[in-house]
This record gives sequence, C-alpha cells and structure tokens, in this order.
Amino acid sequence: MASKIEKEPKYIPEMAQSEIDELNKSIKAASIKVIEDNIERMKKTWKNRPKAMEYFDEISNLFGKRAKELEEQKAAGKKIIGYSCIFAPIELILAADAIPVRVGSGWYDTAKLGDRIMPVEICPVIRSTVGAKMVSLSPYLELSDAIVIPLTCDGRTKLSEMLSDFKPIWYMNPPRVKDDTHTLDMWKKEILVIKEKIEKLTGNKITRQKLKEAIEKMQQATKAFRRLQELRKGAPVINGRDAMLVNQTSLWDDIERWTQKVNELCDELEKRVEQKDYSSYPDTPRVMITGTPMIWPDSWKVPNLIEESNPQGVVVVDEQCSSDRILYDPVGVDEWNMSDMLNAISERYIMACTCPCFTSEHGNEDRINWIIDRIKEYKVDGVIYYVVRGCILYAMEYARIKKVLDKMGIPVYYLDTEYTREDVGQMKTRVEAFLEMLEARIDI
Amino acid sequence: MMISAGIDMGTQRVKVAIIKDKQIIAQSQNFSGFEPAKVAEQTLKEALESAKLSREDIEHITATGAGVNMASFADSTISMMGADAKAGAYYFPSARTIMDVGAEDARAVKCDENGVMMDFVVNARCAAGAGTFIEAMARALEVEMNDMGSLSLNAERASPINASCVIFAESDVVSLIHREEPKSEIARAIFDAMAERVSSMVNRLGVTPDVVLIGGVAKDVGFVASLKRRLGIDILIPEEPIYAGAVGAALVAAKRAKRRH
Repeated sequence: MASKIEKEPKYIPEMAQSEIDELNKSIKAASIKVIEDNIERMKKTWKNRPKAMEYFDEISNLFGKRAKELEEQKAAGKKIIGYSCIFAPIELILAADAIPVRVGSGWYDTAKLGDRIMPVEICPVIRSTVGAKMVSLSPYLELSDAIVIPLTCDGRTKLSEMLSDFKPIWYMNPPRVKDDTHTLDMWKKEILVIKEKIEKLTGNKITRQKLKEAIEKMQQATKAFRRLQELRKGAPVINGRDAMLVNQTSLWDDIERWTQKVNELCDELEKRVEQKDYSSYPDTPRVMITGTPMIWPDSWKVPNLIEESNPQGVVVVDEQCSSDRILYDPVGVDEWNMSDMLNAISERYIMACTCPCFTSEHGNEDRINWIIDRIKEYKVDGVIYYVVRGCILYAMEYARIKKVLDKMGIPVYYLDTEYTREDVGQMKTRVEAFLEMLEARIDI
Repeated sequence: MMISAGIDMGTQRVKVAIIKDKQIIAQSQNFSGFEPAKVAEQTLKEALESAKLSREDIEHITATGAGVNMASFADSTISMMGADAKAGAYYFPSARTIMDVGAEDARAVKCDENGVMMDFVVNARCAAGAGTFIEAMARALEVEMNDMGSLSLNAERASPINASCVIFAESDVVSLIHREEPKSEIARAIFDAMAERVSSMVNRLGVTPDVVLIGGVAKDVGFVASLKRRLGIDILIPEEPIYAGAVGAALVAAKRAKRRH
C-alpha cells in the first residue's frame, strides 16, 4: 500500500525561498527583541538581580552563543538529537556522546504560519513549532539530526508526521496508564528501541561506563536544580520568571556547564537569604502556575503579568514540564549494571511524570499529589491554571484539580490564552483581580 | 467625617460616586466618548457640584473599570471584580454572588460577609453576554433599546436563536423577522440567549445565594426576567445598579484613606 503514496511533503505547503528568507529575518528580529525585552522586564522587577543571572540571559538567546556552539560541535562530527518533550531519555543521548536539545516552540509569530496548515483550534505549541520549521527559524530544530517525539497528546502525535517531511522522527509511545505491569514493560521496550536508534545514528555504543557517567551528570544537574528550588520555599530571593528561565535553559544548554552556573547562582542566593536581600517583598502573594508548558520567549507573557501586576505576585513554584518538573526527579539506580540502569531510566521517565496524558482510577493522582505537596512546601497562596486554547488534556483536567484545591481552600484561577499578544490587556485585568483577591485573603 | 470617591471608567460610560461615612451623597455619569480622560474630570466635577463639595474635601479617590488608567487623578486603583464585591455587599449584606453585566463584558464574583472577593469568572471575549448585544438586536428589530425589555415581557414563548455570537444571532434575528415572528417573541429570545450566556458563566463559579445583579444591564426588565427564569432563583438589584462599580471603588477608597490616618 505504501508504494501508492508518492514521496512528497505530506503537510507543508510549498513556499518561495524569498518568502521563507524574509519571514525568517523578520520573525527572528522580532524574537530577539522579545528576548531582550523579557530580560529587561525581569531586571526591572528584581532591582538587585545578581550577576550570576547574566549567564542564563546569554544562554536564553535562542540565536546566540548556544546555537553557535551546537553548530561548531556538529561540524566537528557530533550528533544533535532534538526532542519535543521531557519524556525523551536525556541520559541515553548523553551516553552516546550526542547532544540533546529541546525543539518545542514558544514563538507567537510562527503560530500564524502553522495556521496555513492547521485550523486555529489546534494547540498553538504545535502550530508554532511547525511554523518555525516552515521558515527554518529554530537553530536547534535545524541542527537536529533526528527528533524524539513522545506521542503524549494528539497535537504531538500529528506534529511528528508534519516534521517527518524534514527530519528523521523517532516516536516514543508512552502508555496512558502507569500502574500496570504490562504498560510499564511496553515503555521499557520503547526506551530500548530509542537506545538502539541513538547508537545507530551516532555510531557510538552506549556502554555501562558511559551510561553511568551520563546518569551521574544528570544527577548533579538535579542536585543543583533542587538546591535552587529549595531557595524558593522561603521569602523570595529569586523571582519566578528568573527561576523559570534558569530551569528552561537546561533544555538546550550544556548540562555540566549549566549545573555549575546554577550552583554559582545558588551560592549568591544563599547569602542573600542570610542578608534578607529579597527579590520581592516578603509579603507578596505567592503564586503557583500549573498547566500548559510556558515556552520561552513569548510565553513569558503570563509570568510577566503576574510579577509586574499591581498588586504584585511572585511565582514561587510551578507544575510545568517547561520548568519545575524538568529535573526534579533523579534516575535512581540500585546497581550500576546495564539492566538496572536502563530499568531506572525507564521508571524515572514514566513514574515521576505528572503529565495529564495519563489517566488512573483516582484521576491522575500523581499530578494532584505533586500540586498538593508543593502548595504546602512553598506556602502557595493561590494557583494560576494556565491553558492555551487547544490544549485539551490540561483544559479537561482543570475541573479535577479545582475540586481538590477548593477543598484545600486554595484559590485557583483558570487563565486561558492563545499564542498572541493581543489579549494582554484583558488578561492583566484578570490576573490583577486574582492577585488582589490573594492579597485581601492574606490581610485577613 | 470621611469623604471618598470612586470612579468607574466603563467602556461606554464613566460613573462617579461620592460617599460620606458609608452613605452615597452624589452620583454622576457621562458617556466615555473619545476623550475618556476629560470626561472623567468632568464627571467628577459634576458629582462634586451636586454634593456641594470641592476637590479638597475628598480624602481618597479610587478608580476602576476597563479604562482605569485614564483616570490619572485617582489616588489608587481596584480591579472591577474587587469593586463589584464591595458594592454588592454594601447594597445587600447578605450578598454572596454578585453578577455584573455591563456594556461590553459580564463577570461574576463571590464574596464573604465583608465584601472580600473569594473567586470570580469573566466573560470578556464575547459580546453575546453583554449590553451591546441588546443594542445590536434592538437595531435589527427596529425598536428602541429601552423598549426591548417591556416588549419581551408580552411574549408567551421565545423564538430559537443562535446565542453563541452577536453576528450569528443578528442574522438569525433577521430571518425570524422575515418569517414574521412576533417581535415580542424575538425580543424574549434575545434576552433568553443572553441570560443563557451569563448563567452558564456564573454556574462555573457556583451560585451561592443571595445573588445580586449590578451593572447597566441590571436595569433591563427583559433581561432580568430571563435571568431569573434561567437561574430559578430570586435576584436582588440595587436601585441604581449602573453606579455599583463606582460605589465599590468609593468604599475601597474610604478604607484606604482610613488606613493612612
């Protein structure tokens, strides 16, 4: 049957090279401006922003230093493996001497290009990622030798098809049910298949020693990550946006260097705890964000609103795969033999994950437990439930989460938006009212 | 003695309320027009004149509403929802759910016995649940907007229309007119559709009695009848619901002024 289908782009319409070049140029220029603007805004709110943050500002430039490094490393023969979401087993990529880099897109402007293929009802993360590919905007996506796409939601499932016109796509099939031995077995096999693909692409065998080193490298990253997270539990010494930026750069930075830089930042911030040198007033309402991933740079729209609002809020923790979920859980190995390590990787990427793509008898209780625990640990005053239109799984789970939060007496606000800048005004109204409400409750 | 003022910079009208020791002593309103900042000054001036006060007598002014930043003379601001909660509890101390239906948007707020907002929902994206919907439909029916309400009360039933969008609804109304359906039934359908939008919004929040309706549209008997039918409960409405936002802001202003003493 397959032979009946001609080999031609399955989805992407033909575009004149001149149009591609022009769009690439203008969107890139606009994006660099958004990146600079976001950093300016973070600096403005956090008057005494430490020097250690400058490193992350630099890495946050999606067209800057890191893209250049990747280009050089690729030219030197290294393979670059893109991934669309944090289900991708980073340790295996590192163990084969390849470079992992996240390729999901937070560009609002490219979502409009995706509209040429898909109706606007489709999740904008998908439309934007495809749009970015249409004009070769993302250096990381362009440089990738293959892309791991875990089929977590319907959007990502079809995204894999759309991108397969350009790049080898490695699907991963996460089960929708975690607490079943046969689904876990299936996932373990997915991990083994990906391992083989990585080995074949790179020509490097993943040895016991190499894998151990990779796991340890990521464990160090988790340690630094948790150190920073710990600092957010008290009076704010780092604002939410800044912590989110640090977290998210781990998805494309060199992970060892990132770990070192996070530790340097934590050295400084720990001093500030002693000195009571806060990034926001200690009585600022403490907000948790949960929901759709907020992808740098354009999706900083919402944390910008929260932390620049009057009254101001500070994001002390989130439950997002674009930030506080990325590195929280280490791969826990019993014995450093190959089979144990692979088991541990397989378990870590599925059991620790709180993605709403899972279902269970109790209604995705892992996500609920995560949220409840963090609310208590981080003394959260209120939750912003962020959903982009078309993000069906997060939208559907809202009612479940709200029920739990209502019972805890924690206010939650459903903030729905799009990949657009046009709704900032009315979102501001809603965010300010929510923060006002939290402030009034704190006053009581 | 403490005098404070609230100004509600609405999308269609600017409203000012002045309160003295928790009593409303003056209210005034004007169309926002093209220069809302000037209108704000003017409206405040008129309220001061009617209360026989001067600007210096006001201890604190709090602004609210969509154009809140246009009232540059205000000492502070409050969200529309926060002002709604304060006003609802002021008019009716038993109020726990307050619905505000204005010209361009609708929202609902839950509050405690002190008028502190506990939760809220907003419908800001669709005009089918707001006052401009009535205006557009009245135009299609060729009746005065203020007559729509009493007209709808004569209807036994409602004609079916699409309530999801003003534009679709308008074309539905046009075809009903062509089918020579009675205007009263079409008018009732319009209010039913609006009530459906507003009640589904407030249902997301949960309807805790007593329920208060404020905002300019609360004056429309047709809409109120439809909303009562749809929610199946009684709704409390203050005498001059259009000033609710301004009154809420003035109450907040009084509190903030006191804090400084």
